[in-house]
Amino acid sequence: MISKQMLKFIGRRLIFLLITYIVATTIVFILPRVIPGNPLNQILSRLSQVAQANPEQIRAAEKTLMEQFAFDKPWYVQYFDFLGNALKGDLGTSVSYYPRKVLDLVIPVLPWTLLLLLPATIVAWFLGNSLGALAAYRRNSWIDKGVLTTSLIVSQIPYYWLGMIFIFFFGVKLGILPVGGAYSQGSFPNWSWSFVLDVLKHYILPFASIVVSAMGGWAIGMRLMVIYELGNDYVRFSEALGMNDKRIYKYVFRNSLLPQITGLALSLGGALGGALITEIIFNYPGTGFLLFRALTSLDYPLIQGIFVILIASIYLANFIVDFIYAVIDPRIRLGQEE
Amino acid sequence: MFKNMFKPLFKSKKFIIGLSIVLFFILLGIFGPMIYRVDPTEMTWDMEQAPSSTHPLGTDTYGRDILAQLLYGIRSSLYVGFLAALISLVIGTIVGTFSAVRRGITDDLLMSFTNIVLTTPSILIAILIASYLDVRSIEMIAVILGLFQWPWFARAIRAQLMSVLSREYVYLSKMAGYGDFRLIVEDLIPTIATYAFMSFVLFINGGIMGEASLSLIGLGPTEGISLGTILQWSVMMDAIRRGLWWWFVPPGIAIVAVTASLLIISTAMDEVFNPILREE
Amino acid sequence: MSESLVKIENIRAYYKLKNREVKAVDNVSFEIMENEIIGVVGESGCGKSTLSNVLLNNIIKPLTIVGGRVLFKSNGEYVEISSLTREEVRERFWGKEMSLIPQSAMNALMPTIKLSKYVEHLAQSHGIPKNELLKKARKRFEDVDLDPQWLNRYPFELSGGMRQRAVIAIATLLNPQLLIADEPTSALDVVNQKVFLKILLEMKRQGIVKSIIFVTHDIATIRQIADRMLVMYAGKIMEISPVDKIVEKPLNPYTEGLLNSVLTPEPEIKKRGITTIPGTPPNLIEPPSGCRFHPRCPKAMSVCKEKEPKLVEIEPQRKVACFLYSEERA
Repeated sequence: MISKQMLKFIGRRLIFLLITYIVATTIVFILPRVIPGNPLNQILSRLSQVAQANPEQIRAAEKTLMEQFAFDKPWYVQYFDFLGNALKGDLGTSVSYYPRKVLDLVIPVLPWTLLLLLPATIVAWFLGNSLGALAAYRRNSWIDKGVLTTSLIVSQIPYYWLGMIFIFFFGVKLGILPVGGAYSQGSFPNWSWSFVLDVLKHYILPFASIVVSAMGGWAIGMRLMVIYELGNDYVRFSEALGMNDKRIYKYVFRNSLLPQITGLALSLGGALGGALITEIIFNYPGTGFLLFRALTSLDYPLIQGIFVILIASIYLANFIVDFIYAVIDPRIRLGQEE
Repeated sequence: MFKNMFKPLFKSKKFIIGLSIVLFFILLGIFGPMIYRVDPTEMTWDMEQAPSSTHPLGTDTYGRDILAQLLYGIRSSLYVGFLAALISLVIGTIVGTFSAVRRGITDDLLMSFTNIVLTTPSILIAILIASYLDVRSIEMIAVILGLFQWPWFARAIRAQLMSVLSREYVYLSKMAGYGDFRLIVEDLIPTIATYAFMSFVLFINGGIMGEASLSLIGLGPTEGISLGTILQWSVMMDAIRRGLWWWFVPPGIAIVAVTASLLIISTAMDEVFNPILREE
Repeated sequence: MSESLVKIENIRAYYKLKNREVKAVDNVSFEIMENEIIGVVGESGCGKSTLSNVLLNNIIKPLTIVGGRVLFKSNGEYVEISSLTREEVRERFWGKEMSLIPQSAMNALMPTIKLSKYVEHLAQSHGIPKNELLKKARKRFEDVDLDPQWLNRYPFELSGGMRQRAVIAIATLLNPQLLIADEPTSALDVVNQKVFLKILLEMKRQGIVKSIIFVTHDIATIRQIADRMLVMYAGKIMEISPVDKIVEKPLNPYTEGLLNSVLTPEPEIKKRGITTIPGTPPNLIEPPSGCRFHPRCPKAMSVCKEKEPKLVEIEPQRKVACFLYSEERA
């Protein structure tokens, strides 16, 4: 089933993403080193201000940072150590949660972020694309105008602000849904029905805020895509052959959806950014929340680690989307001569 | 030339509505603080007051006037947006133009670079950069945001230029011995002006939204007030769960109103200038 | 002489825009006979593509039929298709009675499914058993000189010329009486054009289609394939005659100009688009008074500016709209 052309496509994408990943981690590596001033001292002085912690902890932090950033070694040694460690999965030790490893801190929170981001993004993608296609089919009808106007506005609502409004309205005013967290305080994650139900209840608002505000953008894009597609010759030809409308719409939908799959891959980064902040608003115990804690306590090893992992996840997701795209679109699967 | 070009725009209802709202907010940002002369940083004993005649949009935990904050916030958020958009536009134009005009290896290198930036999750990198900066001015925020949103514009400019470049008149001007630069200025820029304007408008959105995101994660400008920082304070003080709606609702509305109007402007332009979307 | 398959009577089809009308087809009458290939020729913007939409009754606003009617012979009776809605005609006629080969047949095939799948969908739409139509498709592919194996491929796997042939094969699957070819050869190279025309002729010879209306700006292709030629200018018919007679002696000065511009021997001159007709076609919002060709006509007379010439039969089977051949000549 996997043809040579497809392998070529997949291989090319893989190499590209790998290069991009190396560039991104290089940025992560370079940044603390190019910021003017001695960053280590700066970090430590800020740390002592922020932490007001006991000297022991500061000393521990100092030691960790020295190891982590190893400014005394030549830059290329530092660089390859960094890359090597990152590939091995050794992201160093957290300062604020000393002596816990960064990876051990990130792994438990990652599922919460994925649980929130992936279903919400996919649902928004489907709903948005369906609405956009519907609007385009009924071009200039009230449905079209309604969908377009609403989408233009809704697509510009930041996830987190919609989250705030939802919390205020459904949580505070109506009091029907929890105002934050992933589950009720005092309960511990387990597989009982009551806990799952509790998680679902906490899930609704952050999920809905991402879905609603992400949907608009997809609807706008899909509407345009379908309008362009409807002007294509195969539509006219199919019509003239007496193909029924439903089938033609299916064709158009299918062909318009293909570029939207690529769009999905490209939008994941932004969606992740939005989801991270949404987590902060909802006190949702995901990566965003951890990142926020790391940022406020200037835990640079943890911040770096989170980024290395998040960027890797995004590229992985990108790759999966590319793969799906290649499977669905025969022009890629079989290699279109151009 | 431009006068005639933009004339049909003013027949579009969408364009007029979008433009009016944006102009309203621009005027509000420029003149608002001059007319409503309340110090947004002045703390008073009227703490967490709901809107009243003395404080039309209420006050925050320190008794600071929200309307005053909002007016300053609109000003700096628009400023961030414009500045970031300008930076993105300049980078995108340079990269796209060079790619299209020079072709060959320059093109290959620039486009690989563009694709890498395009695939890089820009908001994450922006967060990372901001986290290393002790002091963040509004301009620095704009630069951080502007550095990452140009790739798709560069690609589009390149594609447009390539199609224009293949047309005859460019060939003719090359024959006439014009250099690359003169070619760019005289022949090509006008053809992409509309497109650049539409993109500029969307870049402003990126800047405004990006600023708000950075602020909410605690990495916004360390001086001055923006719409993002107002939201951040309200989150820090748990205004949402305590029902202080006048604190976090207005800045959000301002963000959505400005960015949605800008998007509407760009959509309207697309509908007017793009033959496939034209309604007639 | 056989009967007519389609009768077009005084059709006026305008594009109704906000505050103006484009008179793309203005008071046009002619007939398409059974078993004939009729070529419609004219410069771009003369209304010939609108004419093919009128024949299909593919009327989507702003295009509006302002007057006249189109009669289509179906089961021995003439149906006034211009009085039906687009959807009704589509339901009853498209694919079965009349079919279209669109302008760029290269892109006319649904790109992301296999051709066989497309044929199956077509069968479903028409309530025909899938296998039956697939069998027919295989046969038809052979007719157009394509290996039926190509049915199991995606359109992009076929070369341009092959795609073109696949389009003809699919367009004629249901044996439509009338095949409307709307500038189908414009994107093809000379060799593929020849093959394409040969296949069309073969389709007619085998009786797969009864009649073909071939719309083009290229008079040379019409000479190769058509029985009669219909010359359009600015939404009007200028002349309609058997091809050999028109080539031998064009009546209307416009036809003459058109023929001269194409029959110029040097291909370079042809390529550079130098024609012997000076000027450009008029806009159809406010067409010239009288004969619409008079501003460009080398033989224009004073009457041409004032009165509109009628399309009259001046020899058997030859109709022309020109005062040079009319009694009103003064």
